[in-house]
Amino acid sequence: MVNTMQENDAIISTHGLNLYYGDKQALIDISIDIKPNKVTALIGPSGCGKSTLLRCFNRMNDLVDGVKISGECLFNDKNIYAKDVDVVGLRKKIGMVFQKPNPFPKSIYDNIAYGPRIHGVKNKKDLDEIVERSLKYAALMDEVSDRMHESAMGLSGGQQQRLCIARTLSVEPEIILMDEPCSALDPIATSKIEDLMIRLKKDYTVIVVTHNMQQAARVSDETGFMYLGKMIEFGDTVQIFEKPQEELTSNYVTGRFG
Amino acid sequence: MEEHTPDFEIKRSWGALFPHAGKISGLKEILIRGLWFLTAIFAVITVFFILYFLVRDAYPIFASVGLGDFLGGEVWRPTGSPPLYGTFPLIVGTLLVTLGAMLFATPLGIGSALYISELAPYRVKTVVKPAIELLAGIPSVVLGFFGLIVLTNWIRIGFDVPSGESWLAGSILLGVMALPTIISVSEDAISAVPREFKEGSLAIGATHWQTISQVIAPSAISGITAALILGMGRAIGETMAVMMVTGNAAIIPDPIINVLSPVRTLTGTLGIEMGEVALGSSHYHALFGVAVVLLVIALIVNVCAMLVMERLREENIASAKTRRRRLSPEMADRVKRSLGIGAVAFLAVILFVVAGPLTTVVVLAALGALYVVNERISAKISQNVAFGMIVLSIITVLIILGIILYDIISNGLPALSWEFLTQSPRNLGREGGIFPAIVGTLYLVAGAILFALPIGIGAAIYLTEYTREGKLTKIIRSGVDLLNGTPSIVFGLFGFAFLVLFLNFGVSLLSGLITLGLMVLPTIIRTTEEALRSVPDALREGSFALGATKWQTIRRVVLPPAVPGILTGTILSIGRAAGETAPILFTAVVFSRRFLPDSLSDPVMALPYHLFILSTNVPGAEQNQYGTALVLLLLVIGVYLVAIVIRNHYQKTVKW
Repeated sequence: MVNTMQENDAIISTHGLNLYYGDKQALIDISIDIKPNKVTALIGPSGCGKSTLLRCFNRMNDLVDGVKISGECLFNDKNIYAKDVDVVGLRKKIGMVFQKPNPFPKSIYDNIAYGPRIHGVKNKKDLDEIVERSLKYAALMDEVSDRMHESAMGLSGGQQQRLCIARTLSVEPEIILMDEPCSALDPIATSKIEDLMIRLKKDYTVIVVTHNMQQAARVSDETGFMYLGKMIEFGDTVQIFEKPQEELTSNYVTGRFG
Repeated sequence: MEEHTPDFEIKRSWGALFPHAGKISGLKEILIRGLWFLTAIFAVITVFFILYFLVRDAYPIFASVGLGDFLGGEVWRPTGSPPLYGTFPLIVGTLLVTLGAMLFATPLGIGSALYISELAPYRVKTVVKPAIELLAGIPSVVLGFFGLIVLTNWIRIGFDVPSGESWLAGSILLGVMALPTIISVSEDAISAVPREFKEGSLAIGATHWQTISQVIAPSAISGITAALILGMGRAIGETMAVMMVTGNAAIIPDPIINVLSPVRTLTGTLGIEMGEVALGSSHYHALFGVAVVLLVIALIVNVCAMLVMERLREENIASAKTRRRRLSPEMADRVKRSLGIGAVAFLAVILFVVAGPLTTVVVLAALGALYVVNERISAKISQNVAFGMIVLSIITVLIILGIILYDIISNGLPALSWEFLTQSPRNLGREGGIFPAIVGTLYLVAGAILFALPIGIGAAIYLTEYTREGKLTKIIRSGVDLLNGTPSIVFGLFGFAFLVLFLNFGVSLLSGLITLGLMVLPTIIRTTEEALRSVPDALREGSFALGATKWQTIRRVVLPPAVPGILTGTILSIGRAAGETAPILFTAVVFSRRFLPDSLSDPVMALPYHLFILSTNVPGAEQNQYGTALVLLLLVIGVYLVAIVIRNHYQKTVKW
């Protein structure tokens, strides 16, 4: 196999990645390179495996019974499925934002402070600073500054999602995975999250799964189109949407199926 | 993933969405509805009757001794002259034994629940869960028998004291009895924590233990609290096991934390003295006074559990709303810390008395070292330590179960023979068999189920299908809950006062089966309700859309798929009724009756009572004691196993 990695220093690259749920193969021979400090979108019809692929990157699939994985998935040139990998440490470096906002039933402050605390930050001043910085980055500070010690469950859906992003930022990851982060939100909340994604790529690498093609076109630099567990086409977003190489991709982005 | 719903959670009532859908017209429909209404308020009426008859018979003692002296008097000597009726030592005894039981059962129970819901591989779980349910199936009199023969002996030798019948023995047994409730209710609560919380925490790089201790457990805290309170309710109301191992001296331990001192509980007092008291004497009234005190304590505990669950329900419904924060974070920290210090101090004092000063110092030093180290060690090591403790607790529980089963089975098997099962007892039960007791138990159980099943199913149908959630259902449900929380010995006293004396049924099969039936009624109502609720609304809509009446829909569409659930509840009730002793103690049983009952008005023998008398009043009957215990155990556990198999079968095949 020709190593295409040398010139583009990818932060994540997969080589022949296969994943099975029991007997059913959900990912077939996925080989892609994801570039740092870009927003990469994964699109495709429901059940094509895009969320499964995303959850491979931080090994969240480990939580599902009966999952088997073969092939390589390199993060900074190290296979994350190697035996000696510390999964907990990996998840700290590769954060994740879920489809449905999932704040803990704690106060806003404690939600953000949770990550730093479990990673050993004790000093109240340091915690305050991390919480403030994370909330500011996620553009939530102004809306919650007067109720930091109230339950996070009282926030609106969009606010909860930005809180979850802030919570992810609090442990200073390198990559942020987003699994359809706007599918439970209204258009205004969605546009706030999209703005945030574009700002995030200055400091982080963002990989986002979305079923909303306009969203992929709006926010991403690179796009991968998946179908039935295969990566049909992967490349520059403008190219994927305007001059797709594969007929399947063309049919999907023009809305002929999906 | 399996779906877990805490069984105490009142789900949205499907039928109640359409209380008026489906025609209720014509005399027949109206009559049927009225019938179910009557069955539903039966529970409420029963509660009132219980209260009325207890208070009626207790009133004279309150009037003559005075409530203050009755509750605060420090000497209980009803047969002395002059007789003294101070229940204070009994109340203290009850509270102490319960407290000890909770100290024993809480860590084991929560640890086991965490193991089952978070750590156990699927296959292990399918074995461990039924094992815990098995533990719940051991009749209290069998546990008491084990405690009397084995546990008190160990305590006597282990602590080198003249008698092992003590507060400690009672607490351990009650703890074992409370364990299944604590484990299964907390496990439901832990499993009901949304998966998203767990994923969110893991995705941030938290270890599994950090996730459990900081996200999952705090989210499940209401459910776990409810589990502990329910377990406590079970411990407070228990009679037989306690009465057989606590020594029953009506004294306050001196010093108060002397766990090796004998104590006497409220329930034990009733169990011992009720059978020998002269009707209408002030002693008789005093015992009803004791029952009232017991009922009040049990009700307080159960109302607490209900309130906690109510809050839990509100949290589930209104989790999107802002929750009030009662304590500031600093205050909460301070409260947590002082609670921790209090617990450690309490343990230290107990340890000091039981094991001496040296051990106490060593253990305290170890705890302190652990605390200091805990602050510094890596998340990984603390996870290993925590998981070690969790695994240890489930192993302890399984070992306890194993020891009890092994002791009863290995000692009981030699006694089993065809003659033992088919002959009447001879020589006060030292020789001969237990045939009349087996038959008596079967009669009692069959009668109790025949009595309770129609009422229970009717009440459940009324609650799920005919009413909207509102004041009426709340009253009925509270009635059912109160009935459920009533100690079994109180049912026994009620049966005696109302059925045996007031209705003049005498000590008879009839009185016994009604008392037992009342006791299992709440279980039947609850499980039937749950089964009816799990029938999806689409089926009802489909039936109504074809022009079916309410009752046609219920009978032909709703009831059939609910049958397995109802069956499970029924079988569990059979097991409970077969193993219970306290309710039939004064209403139905006699010790030695060679002949089988000819009619409902004859008294009967029963296995639990036979075992109780053999083990407490008949010296030299070891082999037949174990034989009786084994037969009773096999009977009840067999019934439970059938229930578990049925449930698992339908869980696999019926999925909506």
